[in-house]
Amino acid sequence: MYATDTIYTSSHNDAVKYINSIKGLHKSSFWPNINPELFLKNIRDDINTPLDLYQGSNTNFCGYAALSYLPLNYDPLGHALKLVTLFEKGEVQYGEELLKPSAAVRKAAGNLKYKGGLDIRPAEQMWFLSLADHFKSYLNFFNKNYDPGDENKFWAAVSYGKFNRMIKKLFGYHVHARGSDLMHPKVGDIYTYLQEQLKKDGITIVFQNNAYLRKKNTGKLKPGFPTHFIVLLDIKKYENDLIDILYWDYGFRTLRQVNPAILKKIVFGISFISKKNSVHD
Amino acid sequence: MIKLILILFMVVLVSSCATTSMTKYYTEHHEELEIIEQSYKENYTHKPFAIEFNDKGYKNIFLELLTDSIKYIYEFEVNEPRLQDTLKKFNLSPTPIKNLITRMQSIECKGVSMLDYYLGGKKNTLVFLSVKTKDFRWPLTPQKYYILTYYTQPQYYDAQGRLLDGQTRKRLRELNGDVFKRVNARVAYTISEHFR
Repeated sequence: MYATDTIYTSSHNDAVKYINSIKGLHKSSFWPNINPELFLKNIRDDINTPLDLYQGSNTNFCGYAALSYLPLNYDPLGHALKLVTLFEKGEVQYGEELLKPSAAVRKAAGNLKYKGGLDIRPAEQMWFLSLADHFKSYLNFFNKNYDPGDENKFWAAVSYGKFNRMIKKLFGYHVHARGSDLMHPKVGDIYTYLQEQLKKDGITIVFQNNAYLRKKNTGKLKPGFPTHFIVLLDIKKYENDLIDILYWDYGFRTLRQVNPAILKKIVFGISFISKKNSVHD
Repeated sequence: MIKLILILFMVVLVSSCATTSMTKYYTEHHEELEIIEQSYKENYTHKPFAIEFNDKGYKNIFLELLTDSIKYIYEFEVNEPRLQDTLKKFNLSPTPIKNLITRMQSIECKGVSMLDYYLGGKKNTLVFLSVKTKDFRWPLTPQKYYILTYYTQPQYYDAQGRLLDGQTRKRLRELNGDVFKRVNARVAYTISEHFR
């Protein structure tokens, strides 16, 4: 079990060595619809190209995908070990949490269809479903137990508070959170604040209203709520005031140009995630 | 009781109107739609991209351009020179893209994109076209879109014309959580809240 003030880290090579050492992973009675070969391939792909991890089309898995950026980039070995244990034993101690998914979730993993690339990524299906099954917030109050199709519904929804809590409990990182589900963060100029976060040693995750990004860039927008988590990679302002934001949006890095008014409207939460102490395996 | 029957009648009428409008739209514009599909597919082979109008007047677009490592999303007014410059920068020929945009404007087609779907673990693609509906909408209900999906091969449908999973032919295939219906062997439609 993790010490409360310790964060484990490992290298890409450690993870590759481990995954290559697994010979003949057997079918798990806990996960009847997961093909072991596809499962291992998915873990190997995530280790080699962590940015390819995909939340699936039309699901509410974006929060779980966003937080996966941390172990995939900073502790791929630890994460792979945990996923293999969860697969083989049907439960795993991950950080402070014992993940023990329900039978309905175990039956669904590997069987999610029509979600684009997620269809052929059973390890991600297992991981996202297990997190959604374990962590609850007020958004999940009326739909706490999984039924087929719930991956697209409030059962899987992630509030800002739940998102930050998951990172602390699973990975032991320090989270400095500004903002909420309803109100914009009071941090002064959003562009300047985000730029300052990116200069620090850590990861910046933004909770935003994605629908705004698909509206005309006028700044005259109706009120709305945040629905999407992105990992901010870079931000740059040009002389004409337009801002380029580069972010990881699961499966892709995306570069989107916005004006300052849009940026102010879309951002509801900014989480700066940093390590306290690190231990190398 | 009479009020309840009237409300039910209205609901049935409105949903039936939506399907009729879709059929009417497709009948009127199917030739243009096919040209858009073919032109999009042809240009897509040079550089993966997607177009989406983001205003009521069909004058502004989001242009998505996919490279190996980054998806770029730019917003343009369709006649501004910046659009042409960007297309050239990404190795797309401006004239056919401009023609594609003009055709989309002419039939108020909101967006065109390529969508991945998997059958038996194998990746396939289809062309996804969306059109904003003009049907009656109850207050506080979401905007709906006609969605037309163009497959490269003929698809399987059940007796009610619903699109089936090509592998099992027993399960209804869904895209974005929606069930699709037959337009012809290669084209299926739905009416959805999701336009991409």
